[in-house]
Amino acid sequence: MLPSVRALERAMGYPAGNAPGYLTAVITEVFDELIAHEEIRAEYRIIDDIAIDTDAGTLTLQEVVLSPGLTVTVQIREAEKVALFVCTAGATVSDRSRCSTPDADLLKGYVYDVTGTIVVENAADMMLQELRRTMEAGGYGITNRFSPGYCGWDMAEQHKLFIFLRDNYGGVTLTESALMKPVKSVSGIIGIGRKVRFAPYSCSMCDDKNCLYRGRKT
Amino acid sequence: MNQLLEKISACVEFGKIDIKSPYPPSMKDQEGAFELTRSALDAGISAGEILEEALIPAMSRVGQKFSRNEIFVPQMLMAAKAMSSSMTHIRPYYLSGETRRKGTFIIGTVTGDLHDIGKNLVAMMIEGAGWEIIDLGVDVSVDEFIDAAEKHPGAIVGLSALLTTTMENMRKTTATLKEKFPHLQILVGGAPVTSEFCEKIGADFYAPDPQGAVDYLSTLAQ
Repeated sequence: MLPSVRALERAMGYPAGNAPGYLTAVITEVFDELIAHEEIRAEYRIIDDIAIDTDAGTLTLQEVVLSPGLTVTVQIREAEKVALFVCTAGATVSDRSRCSTPDADLLKGYVYDVTGTIVVENAADMMLQELRRTMEAGGYGITNRFSPGYCGWDMAEQHKLFIFLRDNYGGVTLTESALMKPVKSVSGIIGIGRKVRFAPYSCSMCDDKNCLYRGRKT
Repeated sequence: MNQLLEKISACVEFGKIDIKSPYPPSMKDQEGAFELTRSALDAGISAGEILEEALIPAMSRVGQKFSRNEIFVPQMLMAAKAMSSSMTHIRPYYLSGETRRKGTFIIGTVTGDLHDIGKNLVAMMIEGAGWEIIDLGVDVSVDEFIDAAEKHPGAIVGLSALLTTTMENMRKTTATLKEKFPHLQILVGGAPVTSEFCEKIGADFYAPDPQGAVDYLSTLAQ
């Protein structure tokens, strides 16, 4: 789940082989520490009782109405059920990415931060592939994954998702301001159905030029 | 320039914090910004001179290199940390009034966002440019920003957001602050923020990087 040292250096902006030696040393140190704290988790829960209204941009799960908006509801419109998921890189990488104390090792904190972001995305992608294999065996397809805060879906709706992901689901809890703890976590939905198609993110429909998922092919 | 000031400037620019710091390797086992600043003060160089002739030019060079993609966040963090170690000795001179601040800058990451690396980096750069920093931390509510603005009249406020998901909270914070303090200058920044977004939410300035924030503040301090 950890990226390679080179991949992490590239994520920080350095062309191949151009990172300062001390950075490579800190990355190696952080990776060694993280291997000792294997806390990555990814879980999903399937909800069968759903209704999708693309005109209203809503998704009703049992009796809870979510408003992910047009972009997401169009992508999942053929879904017969949805998987609600949570993935986390864990508390260690999340906590150590915090640099709020004056004596904090800022560089190490930054390495933890970037590593945590990559790890949780890798975990979510791996979970998606696992769900895909499981569903395909039963004749179902899956959509891409969608999270509150992206594709025009209000982040505050995360509270509605967590109605179905109670009791520290996946080791993740939600704050009042809709922030997940551990910080390096992602949650969201994936459409499942016999007619659904997996498609890359529809970035041309969205005006957020700095989105994490912009231009991703998978 | 005085040799000590030149050395302090080089230590800050290349991130040599103190004698124990093994980075950069070419300066290993040499005194860093922390020790050299103490030596400079002991030698009679004023805190103002150290700030104006060593720290500010060094951080300016760092900021410019970052803006040109010649260095990246890790090197900037090391430089900021080195500058911060130097500031440990400089701060008492602000308190005594011997050295004057350029103004007060209130900074915080907006509610719902716990990211602090970028915010800390900006705060350190701005402090190094001679400003007093009121760091409210992360996940800062609108009320906390209002309280700080009331306590520090004339201060400039900086809002940080790293998540696309918390940009809406930046909009709400800006709107509430502007309603309460129409003349308050608000600077915004963070990975997903753009100048278009800044304009849309009614903030005064978008800083694409820490140096941009420093440059903008220096125009206000004139």
